[in-house]
Amino acid sequence: MIEPKRVLRALAEHWALLEPLCEHFDQGTLSLNELRTQLAAQQLDSTPQDITSLLDVWIRLDILVPVAKSPNRFELNAQIHDFLAYLRREHRLGLCLEIEAYLRHLERLAGYIQDAFEIRDGNDLARQLRLLDMRVRDVLKKLDNDEQALVAVAERAKTSDRQIPLRQRYAEVLATWDEYVEPMIELVNADGAFEQGVRKVETVLLKMLSEQQRLGHLVDDDMLLRTHARILEMQTSAQLTLRHARELLLPLREEARRHNAVTRGAALALAAIRRKGIDAVPQAALPLFTRPQSTFLGSASQVEAYVYALARFEPKPARFPKAHKSPKSGDAPRAPRTVREMVDRCEESLPMPDLMTWLLEQEPDGATDELLYWFSRLSREKRFKRERLERREYHTHEHQVSLRSFALLSAGPDAAENSASIPNAS
Amino acid sequence: MHLDLSELSQLAPIFRELFKGYHVSRRDPELYAQLSNFQDQYRTLFKALGFELVCDTRGFYYFVPDLAAAAVNKTAQRLALFTFILVEHLADQGRDPIAVLDGGSLGREELPSLLDKYRDLFIQAEVQTVEELEEKIMRRMTQLGFASEENGVYRFLPPMHRFLDVCLSVQQDRDLAASVHSVLPLPAPVLIDEEAEARFLATDDPLDLSEFEVESDEESEEDALARAIAEEQESDA
Repeated sequence: MIEPKRVLRALAEHWALLEPLCEHFDQGTLSLNELRTQLAAQQLDSTPQDITSLLDVWIRLDILVPVAKSPNRFELNAQIHDFLAYLRREHRLGLCLEIEAYLRHLERLAGYIQDAFEIRDGNDLARQLRLLDMRVRDVLKKLDNDEQALVAVAERAKTSDRQIPLRQRYAEVLATWDEYVEPMIELVNADGAFEQGVRKVETVLLKMLSEQQRLGHLVDDDMLLRTHARILEMQTSAQLTLRHARELLLPLREEARRHNAVTRGAALALAAIRRKGIDAVPQAALPLFTRPQSTFLGSASQVEAYVYALARFEPKPARFPKAHKSPKSGDAPRAPRTVREMVDRCEESLPMPDLMTWLLEQEPDGATDELLYWFSRLSREKRFKRERLERREYHTHEHQVSLRSFALLSAGPDAAENSASIPNAS
Repeated sequence: MHLDLSELSQLAPIFRELFKGYHVSRRDPELYAQLSNFQDQYRTLFKALGFELVCDTRGFYYFVPDLAAAAVNKTAQRLALFTFILVEHLADQGRDPIAVLDGGSLGREELPSLLDKYRDLFIQAEVQTVEELEEKIMRRMTQLGFASEENGVYRFLPPMHRFLDVCLSVQQDRDLAASVHSVLPLPAPVLIDEEAEARFLATDDPLDLSEFEVESDEESEEDALARAIAEEQESDA
């Protein structure tokens, strides 16, 4: 056995040297040379012999232990390391699996307690109850430690350099979420291991309390009640820890996820634009806003240019027909036909077997677009009733047109109302 | 709702700014305070006038223009492109894009390198020089209330969330993601809904021949396109 007083005295005496080393040991192990250099840097007036004897003391007291298979490398004894971490409030996040293992053990202990009670073994019962109580304390201690560790995780993420990528900055948060919070949620769930374990132990304890009333006391009721209370405390504590963890980490996790989504979205949009042009981004996704320039008068230079142009305005010369030049017969541009003229002529020719043929007869030299205009206009005229004909080809002066013409008849007064709204067709 | 116009003391400047397409945020403390204090009144009044005031909880106000009147303009495309570029550029540099675009700042001296690095993309937005970048993008951003400029430093304002939302919606757009990884053409953006289309077809113009085309051809252009896409998808699969 190592005498506790000596260990504690050594820790107290050498705390100034040990504390900086703790940080190194948090990261990993140190070789003998590294240890000597560290200590020499802190104790400038010490001789190599002093350092050797100091290291000797630490090794003898099991404060420093050699790393397995590397006798020249050292680490802090795990127990001491935990103790110091507890004192320094440097909590390392445990595993959710540890808690689950503890809970399974609690369930088993509940079974042993029941067995001991059934065979009326008072000593074993007291021992198992003590074990149960200690195990519950372990869980409580762990939950408390984990909660502190979670706070530290969140703090590190929030306070780290804003300039480093969020993915790195929040890596620990995301890992913690996946490895601790998510399994904890499952564990503390209504049908998770935590509830099951707690319920089983609670049932056994309560049953024992009532049985003791009936069969006589094997252990003190107080002990059972205390254990029961501690079990309930453990349950509340787990729920609180979990809630705290969610409150701390969920916003950070969401921020990281949002960040990832934004970065991914931007990269995706750029890839699409590179491949398909700027119209690749669906327009529906883009924000709409009115154009800022719509109500702007324009820049000063534009106004100036406009005024300048106004001041020097020169109308284009108008060309009037000369009175002395008599038009040669035949090539005088014909006056355009008016709608009334055309409709009247059309009406005179009713019934008309084929509107397009009639138009071509009337205007053999007419331009195609003009003929089509008249075709459209006359076929919609309310004064006529129309009947669609089969598709055929017509030859205008310039083109060959394929359409379904109409036969026109005189419309009665009723039909005139609707004829214009019937869709036109070729 | 009873509207007391005397309460809406900033009505004229607020309307003038919003009408121009400006986004009012905390950068304009007076206008912003008015809008947030009398949010419902302003919204009701503008609604009666035919303007939809959007009150974004992230701290900004803007008008949604009438959909029919506001075809997405080049400016929106340019600003969105710039946002995408900036997000990627910052992420590449190991900086936090959201921290920059949500209240952070960008030095004017960073623009030339940005233009250099993304020249191929900026060309698509008709931006080729730093002057054009400042004129067509940065100035527009400040004019519309997305950013403010002071001593050569652009500070991004809360309305930038509208563009960050575009990034998010693009990220959720499976079609777009698929199109990046395929050779199919992107789905054509729908600008006019069917009703509007029908309205456009119902014209009194006697020269309107669109109906002729629809009835004369075996299939409309739209059907042909749909068929072509389906065929291509089949052959692709």
